[in-house]
Amino acid sequence: MAGTIPRGRGERRSPGELESEVLATLWATDQALTPAEIQTDLGGDLAYNTVHTILRRLHDKGLVLRDADGRRGAYRPAKNAAQMTAEAMHHALDRGPDPIAALQQFVTGLSPAEEAALRSLLRESGA
Amino acid sequence: MRIDVYTPLLLSLLLALVSPRVGLRLAPAPAARALTAAAVLAAGATTWALVLLTLTLVGQAPPVVADAREDGRVLPDPVPEVVAVAALALLTVAAWRVLRAVRAERATRRTLRRLCEGYPDGTELVVAASPTAQAFAVPGTPGRILVTSAMLAALRPAERRVLLAHERAHLAHRHSLLVHAVTLAAAANPLLAPVRTTVAYLVERWADEHAAEAVGDRRTTAQALARAALVAHRPGCALHFSDRAVTRRVAALQISPPPHLRPIAVAVLALGVLPALGAADATGDLLQLLRSVLT
Repeated sequence: MAGTIPRGRGERRSPGELESEVLATLWATDQALTPAEIQTDLGGDLAYNTVHTILRRLHDKGLVLRDADGRRGAYRPAKNAAQMTAEAMHHALDRGPDPIAALQQFVTGLSPAEEAALRSLLRESGA
Repeated sequence: MRIDVYTPLLLSLLLALVSPRVGLRLAPAPAARALTAAAVLAAGATTWALVLLTLTLVGQAPPVVADAREDGRVLPDPVPEVVAVAALALLTVAAWRVLRAVRAERATRRTLRRLCEGYPDGTELVVAASPTAQAFAVPGTPGRILVTSAMLAALRPAERRVLLAHERAHLAHRHSLLVHAVTLAAAANPLLAPVRTTVAYLVERWADEHAAEAVGDRRTTAQALARAALVAHRPGCALHFSDRAVTRRVAALQISPPPHLRPIAVAVLALGVLPALGAADATGDLLQLLRSVLT
């Protein structure tokens, strides 16, 4: 199962959604990625040109940078804004449980037994 | 009036008791909607019932009593004075709790807006460069998804799509509004607190089901949840707080999606409508009483 990427049921992704996915892919790794590598990572159901267009749009917005000292044509995420966001987030988290605890977070706490159960689930699926 | 006025309280209790079961049996979207609507109606009815009980104090007010004595009338007394005074006290507490909930919501909104400041309009994903794994939806126009770099790095490509689809579902279906509405209902009527917990869980389930459909794979969706929960959970944390929510969500994804059972949704709504009817009936009774007292 590892390495295979399930395809969506043909659900069309909007340009905004694709931008998010490309940006998420770049943030998930420490290395700069080329459009071809991003294309593979996204499951290969996107045309190379589409990936390229999305990267250019992200670059225009200042959210990604061309990798200056690395490989030609590779991109990295721009760190400045993300660091400021992180600072603001931690500031909000430190100030007390109220603001962020009220949010619907993707996941919440785990007990030791639940932790073990989730680990075994991931092992079973060979992931 | 003697009985009607208490029905909203009893039915709120019943709604609170059935809500976890409804959450287990019914598809999350109709369950969350029906429970929220019922809770808001029940909270409104309870508050109104307290207002009615408080108003009966008018019949005991000295000028009214003196007036009636002069006329040689016997005043009807629908509820004991101590109940009316208790109702006034409860009403005050409810008002304070609602005010506090509204303030908390405003504070959250302000904080969130600040987090996304400076990002161009057409940007959906806001990344925070942080070693803490976190992800949440930021409601607004446009709505945004805030995810930390640690969370993105922990997930596989397909699982990242699950995460994005999950948060997108929160934004598209305005889950923050549902949760805010049921939070206010529970603030006004603390008996409804279990309904709030259920709805908060159900919107997560709703977003999970949406993500599973978008990615086309329930198994990958379950894996994404498991992995995100493990990385977000810091083992050094002394507090092993858990409401078993994540494991229940993972388990729910390993079976087929729950059915859309219309009769259950309708029954839940009825639990909200009935207290409203009880309160309306009691209002009529009280108006009649007051008319006889004040005219």
